[in-house]
Amino acid sequence: MARDGVMSQFLQATLYGLLQGGVFALVAVGFSLVWGVMNVVNLAHGAFVVAGAYVAFELHSWIGIDPFLAVPVVAAVLFAIGYLVQRYLVNLVINAPVFITLLLTFGLQLVIVNGMIMLFTANYRSIPTAYATTSLALPGDVRLPVGRLMAALLAVGLTLALGYLMRHTRVGLAILATGMDRGAARLMGIKAAHVYALTFGLAVAMAGVAGAAVGAIGTFSPADAGRFTVFSFVAAVLGGLGTMSGALYGGLLLGLAEAWGGQLLPGTLVNAVAFAVLVVVLAVRPQGLAGRSFYAARVEV
Amino acid sequence: MRSAAVASVLMLVAAGCGSKGEATNSAGKTGTLTVGASLSLTGSLAREGTLTKEGYEVCQDVVNSKGGVSVGGKKLTLQIQYQDDTSAPDTAGQLVDQFNDKGVRLILGPYGSATTASTAAVVERNGQVMVDSSGADDSIFTKGYKRTFAVLAPATEYAASMVQAIYDLANPRPRTLAFVSADDGFSKTATQGGVDKAKQLGFTVVDTEYVPNGTSDVSAALTKLKGKNPDVILGSAHLAEGVAIVKQSKELGVTPPGGFAETVAPPTPDFVQTLGPAANGVLGSTQWTVKTKGSDSWFGSAPDYAATFKAKFSGRDPEYHGAEATAACLVLVLGVQKAGSTDPDKVRDAIAGLDEQSFFGPLKFSPNGENLTKAMAVIQIQNGKPVTVWPKDSSEAAMTWPGTAS
Repeated sequence: MARDGVMSQFLQATLYGLLQGGVFALVAVGFSLVWGVMNVVNLAHGAFVVAGAYVAFELHSWIGIDPFLAVPVVAAVLFAIGYLVQRYLVNLVINAPVFITLLLTFGLQLVIVNGMIMLFTANYRSIPTAYATTSLALPGDVRLPVGRLMAALLAVGLTLALGYLMRHTRVGLAILATGMDRGAARLMGIKAAHVYALTFGLAVAMAGVAGAAVGAIGTFSPADAGRFTVFSFVAAVLGGLGTMSGALYGGLLLGLAEAWGGQLLPGTLVNAVAFAVLVVVLAVRPQGLAGRSFYAARVEV
Repeated sequence: MRSAAVASVLMLVAAGCGSKGEATNSAGKTGTLTVGASLSLTGSLAREGTLTKEGYEVCQDVVNSKGGVSVGGKKLTLQIQYQDDTSAPDTAGQLVDQFNDKGVRLILGPYGSATTASTAAVVERNGQVMVDSSGADDSIFTKGYKRTFAVLAPATEYAASMVQAIYDLANPRPRTLAFVSADDGFSKTATQGGVDKAKQLGFTVVDTEYVPNGTSDVSAALTKLKGKNPDVILGSAHLAEGVAIVKQSKELGVTPPGGFAETVAPPTPDFVQTLGPAANGVLGSTQWTVKTKGSDSWFGSAPDYAATFKAKFSGRDPEYHGAEATAACLVLVLGVQKAGSTDPDKVRDAIAGLDEQSFFGPLKFSPNGENLTKAMAVIQIQNGKPVTVWPKDSSEAAMTWPGTAS
């Protein structure tokens, strides 16, 4: 009986960690893309996640659209915002030292977060659905939460789709080419400013979709932006910058590390566990789990 | 264009850093009583900070509409200056220092225990006086400060009052309790108070789990609790953790037969809004309800205060954050009137000797600045609204037990 209890507790933690990790992956994939392709560490990424949650929330409260069905709309809105932000703001300082883009995105995150506090107040919100807190009972007293399962499947599906887009479409190849060698890409007729804006738009759209999922399964408020940026940072670096599969591995590993760490250690050390895993992975495999060396050897022209 | 963008970024950063202002205050001469308040208007505590500000605004309106604060034959208009501490304790301390540089010596407390702890140290050093509206952690009052006074009951009472309510009212009475606590000072102190009370009353505490403050994922703690089958889960948590405990328990199939009790989350309107029907039956503890006994000449009784608040904020009911803020402001006003002066030393002595009734309950301070005569009330969410269920002589409805039955 006692052993069954321990086993079921372990399985439950593992399952929950994997589901949580799927959502981390979706939060992180855009962050990783922007960093890998443009060498911009987007500190406003978490703010876009929360913005996506608010778009889904508003759609739900105005016309009652389910947050998961609202995903295409959320993605389109956030894509447009991301495209414009990159084209008319971040592109202005894209050649400046990384410190300047850090400052810019830091400022952007302050503006967005406080803008959201003014627009939506700092209240905690959640998008109510009939199924989000229901769960399927599995053998051994393990529960599979329905909302989290949907969020994780959506996350993994979209991350894989983005990976396919990057490798097998002209747009994706143009993004990769620009990321590897901007000068050569320009000589091939690729408009770097447009490609950068597309990349940022895609990244922000993914962040927004992640926000919609988070809104359906948990709570959010503008103050959560910083937390999402930190998750993205850890998952992206764990997995390896710029690769879509890297963010997926990184997110899943982060989810598992937090779930197992939470079982074995006092609960308040959970965040420390995430960073400890990061340190270990970087010490053993500096390019990240799925990282490739060509991003490090990029040519900046 | 590019340099303009860089400049705007630098402006933003500079605005965040702040700089010491020059002394420009002239309180007394112009007939205004200037009071400073550093509040969390942005950042993680923006929600509660804004509620606190509303309470201060009600106080300012009522005091000024009744002619202001009388000091030595003069009527002073109360003017509260606000600064945003971005929910950062260090910033709150710096802002109170800046108030001092500007000659503002009377301070109303920020929101929360961490910011209050950092400002209390600054107030003590500068010889200012602060009335604390929401910093309940007992550790603030163990440092020998003489210039910080808290209107609210101390943190040890938050969970203990719910344990007492369950002991008094729950039938059948549960045997085992488990605590899920956030890891900030206030929540940990509240948990300790609750655990001590539970042991004293003969309950078995099967587990106490700590989670990071402000987290929205408490699944690890719940998974660990599940096998120990507690009759009631007590959360010592703020809103985010409090909502997560109820939501994730449902996901994980954690179903304590007696349901949930959580300290400060249930009385806030957001708790019911985010949880919907799942909020029903959850117990919470609060510093103030509309049933609180006592009255004063400025605000009348608790129902009178509720009416004033509703009139100012377009029909919205007050909850305890606003009430405790108004009460703190009231203490400062009473202190200044009693001292007949705005001198911080005299105001301090006057507040230390106060013994008044108010819409918020009794206002009387122990030598270390705590309002020990103040009792807490326990509420339960019934049909989507918080109603007072304990103490029994000022309750609005009977406690539904077990809480999961509703």
